[in-house]
Amino acid sequence: MARHTVSFRGGPHIDMWLLIVVVLIASIGVINLYSATSAYVGAGHRAGLADIYVTQIYWIVVGLLLAMLVAAIDYRHFERLAPILYVGGILVLMLVFVLATDVRGSARWIRLGSFTFQPSEFMKPLVVLMVARHIHGDHRTEARSLVDMVVPLAYAAVPTAAVMMQPDLGTSLIYVLTTLSMLMITRIRATAILTGIGLTATTSYLLWEFGMREYQKNRIRSFLDPEADKADTAWHALQAQTAIGNGGVVGEGFMQGTQNQFGFLPDQHSDFPFAVFAEEFGFLGCLVLLVLYCFLALWTIRIASQAKDRFGAAVAVGAGGVIFWQATFNLGMSMGLLPVVGVTLPLFSYGGSSLLTMLICLGLVMSVSMRN
Amino acid sequence: MATLIQRSDVGEFRKRYRWLRLFVVFAFLAMAVRLFVLQVIEGDVHDAQARRNIIGETRLATTRGVIRDGLGRVLASNRPAYDVHVVPSQINLEETWPRIAQVMQLDAETEKRLLERIKGIIQKGGPRADQSTLLSVDVSRDVVATLETHRGDFRGVRVSPAPVRSYPYGELGAHMLGYMREVDAEILAEQPDAGYRAGDRLGAVGVEHRWESYLRGQRGFQRFISKKARREHVEALQKRYLGGDHLEDPTPGRDISLTLDVDLMRSASDAMRGHLAGAVVVVDVRSGRLLAALSKPSFDPNAVSGGSGKEAVREAFNRYYSDPLKPTLDRTISAAYPPGSTYKPFSALAGLEGGLLDPFGRVDCRGGYEYGKRYFRCTGVHRNVNLHDALVQSCNTYFYELGSRIQIDSLAEVGSRFGFGAATGIGVNPEARGRMPTRAWYTRRYKGAFRGGFTLLAAIGQGATTVNVVQLALAYAALANGGTLYRPQVVRSIETADGTVVQDFPPRVRRLVDVEPRHLNRLLTGLAGVVSDRDGTAYAERLEGVDLAGKTGTAQVSQLAPRGSDQAQVQYFHRDHAWFAGYSPVQSPEIAVVVLVEHGGGGGKNAVPVAMKVVADWQRLKAERLGRKAEAQDE
Repeated sequence: MARHTVSFRGGPHIDMWLLIVVVLIASIGVINLYSATSAYVGAGHRAGLADIYVTQIYWIVVGLLLAMLVAAIDYRHFERLAPILYVGGILVLMLVFVLATDVRGSARWIRLGSFTFQPSEFMKPLVVLMVARHIHGDHRTEARSLVDMVVPLAYAAVPTAAVMMQPDLGTSLIYVLTTLSMLMITRIRATAILTGIGLTATTSYLLWEFGMREYQKNRIRSFLDPEADKADTAWHALQAQTAIGNGGVVGEGFMQGTQNQFGFLPDQHSDFPFAVFAEEFGFLGCLVLLVLYCFLALWTIRIASQAKDRFGAAVAVGAGGVIFWQATFNLGMSMGLLPVVGVTLPLFSYGGSSLLTMLICLGLVMSVSMRN
Repeated sequence: MATLIQRSDVGEFRKRYRWLRLFVVFAFLAMAVRLFVLQVIEGDVHDAQARRNIIGETRLATTRGVIRDGLGRVLASNRPAYDVHVVPSQINLEETWPRIAQVMQLDAETEKRLLERIKGIIQKGGPRADQSTLLSVDVSRDVVATLETHRGDFRGVRVSPAPVRSYPYGELGAHMLGYMREVDAEILAEQPDAGYRAGDRLGAVGVEHRWESYLRGQRGFQRFISKKARREHVEALQKRYLGGDHLEDPTPGRDISLTLDVDLMRSASDAMRGHLAGAVVVVDVRSGRLLAALSKPSFDPNAVSGGSGKEAVREAFNRYYSDPLKPTLDRTISAAYPPGSTYKPFSALAGLEGGLLDPFGRVDCRGGYEYGKRYFRCTGVHRNVNLHDALVQSCNTYFYELGSRIQIDSLAEVGSRFGFGAATGIGVNPEARGRMPTRAWYTRRYKGAFRGGFTLLAAIGQGATTVNVVQLALAYAALANGGTLYRPQVVRSIETADGTVVQDFPPRVRRLVDVEPRHLNRLLTGLAGVVSDRDGTAYAERLEGVDLAGKTGTAQVSQLAPRGSDQAQVQYFHRDHAWFAGYSPVQSPEIAVVVLVEHGGGGGKNAVPVAMKVVADWQRLKAERLGRKAEAQDE
């Protein structure tokens, strides 16, 4: 028993590559945050944001400790605990509607003493655990049909529905895409995939017609045609692209990005930190960052492939999936490849909830890697 | 531990990881490519955009050149005026706005409309909310004073100087001067290098339009680093992005002196009082310079040049364009009329040159002339007339007789030599070139059926023959000065703002008309007789002391009244045009005068008095000015 629960003593088992890359990305993130928020120094109502890079360091330390703790626990315990955690998570998520603090038209936050936190973030690893539990229990050899996937998709659908009502398009996308990524490692019938695509298309249409708020629609519209409405939503996306392009090959230099320093970037500390980084460090700096994220994603797949049970493999894919999808969507929207949906850049964006969630996910991955 | 799960089969997953890896690599490759495009390929474009974001530019207004008349009196200048703007994002709608509305004395409706617009801009957000939005143009001095002295109380309100073009003489000479209009989208799109921006004003019509490039001057600019820059960065940023050329002073526009004489213009305007429409042109026969050019009815360029706001301008234009008398039409140049009997001297010249006219030969006028199956009427029964009598009494029959003998092309040839049927080259406003019909023209127009009757009509300045008023004035000037056809001149010189002459325009001769003095003298004697002989057509209206020679004309009108005219209007529009064309003094001519009273009826009765008054005033002005000069020399 001790062998399983306290395997932490085996120091060499810690995945050093994973840890180094995570710390590297987080450190670059803090440095970038310093530059990003320097624009707020003496900037009236946002002056309070000028020192958040210090807070971010605290969160990184707390998050790393939390990740160690999660890694220390044998991931197989989570298989048993998953339903309790999941239900608990859903309940807290519902609490948002009662206690929420309104931020720009969408209620996502819960105030707890002097902290505010975002339950929808912490829900991400819980969905991963629940779906992984399902995949673990379903060890048939024949390919799955669409019906077989109803249960795991329902695990994603419940928090998705709750989050959509807040409303928060980005987070719900992450739930769904992560769940789908996890399901993709099992064998699925070709017809099921095709039907799935068909259903998605229909649902998207219905969502567009009846489910989405006007501002969400506008974001997608502005993505499809950014020149059409420069004054509004697309303004943000275009300014981010201008910042990135302004970086050129080698960048404007640290603290020298004019788009950032002059306040042309919206929410540069949370939604568009990459634009700040790209403007100041250029194409070469960006390549380094892309390689780091790419490594992180590929490394979690490697860990999954070396897991010794289905649950471990699914958890690694899921936790890695959360990070991959968030990174892809955040970078993609900064570059104008994807619509602005408001997801954070893992380990890079400012925000305690986001940072802790990402590090918990990495703790899970590490836990799997330590026990292969 | 029994509760822990059993090792399960992970073999099912093995083949799937490859696809996940492939997907991840593909996703990051796509991003790398996108970054390459943004940062390396399109880098310059974004760099330029980012620079535009942080570098502000203040345009330094220039002053438009002043237009003066021949004696230095200001015809068009700039009146200081102020516009009020608000920056929507900076304005306090609860506290500041009601005070603004009160100070500016906005009525409830306007106030509500403006408030809605500002609210709309704030709601929409984006950069528009940080830019000035125009609230009101040309506000009163009191409003400016209040807003400026209590600047602290009106956060977000800006008062900016926006000089308004002003024409102190109002309607007088408006067609020659022109007016100002806002630059339109077409010019902005087609001439991006001309330096106009939306909201700029440019000259429309007349001298304002034609000499725009001289008058407008060159705007200066001042570039600066955005106010958002932190103080310690400003210097470095300036060095990096602005270089040395961030300030350029504006160059004021050139002043223009015209050949016109406001006193004479006003005299013409006074003389035309009592007539609805027409034109008066006075030209110096020794230079072709226009001393007066009046087109009636006129418009007030102050009303359409934007000082009182867009609505007022639109209203004024609606009023002018719905007027059947077309006040915006320049009747001196942009319209062609049948010259009637004022054309007779030129027909006579064609006859004399062709040897078809014996100046002493007589024609018996019994009130008309039979030609083929048609009967051509005369203005009366003149009995036995020679060339002199025919000019003095304006006998048509004499000229019908000439028309029956002469080729129409010979008439046209002499007309063309005097500049008819072709542009005068005045260079201001579009020209109606008029028409000298030839046989070829009639053949084209009437599909081969040329009839001799056409020539009879052409000989008395009717039929298809048309001229514009300036053409006729210059042609009479050529008769008076012995055959020099000048190009009509309106702009005398160009000066800098401090009065230094940059360019002086000498008179330009269009052509030396080859005409035999003995023929010319016969004509001039006839023209003198029109006024001085007891049976002359202008004799009854002559004024004591006015030294004038010339020819009356009563031109039949063939055009129809505008659609929708009532009975009285139809009657008006079918009435003949009254003409007088002449020169003064008779012995050594200095000016040529042409008066057209549109639908004025008989030329002798209606046009001659106008010409008499104008010439009387010209003589008085000349004497006064000579006297003043003599006085000045004495002292």
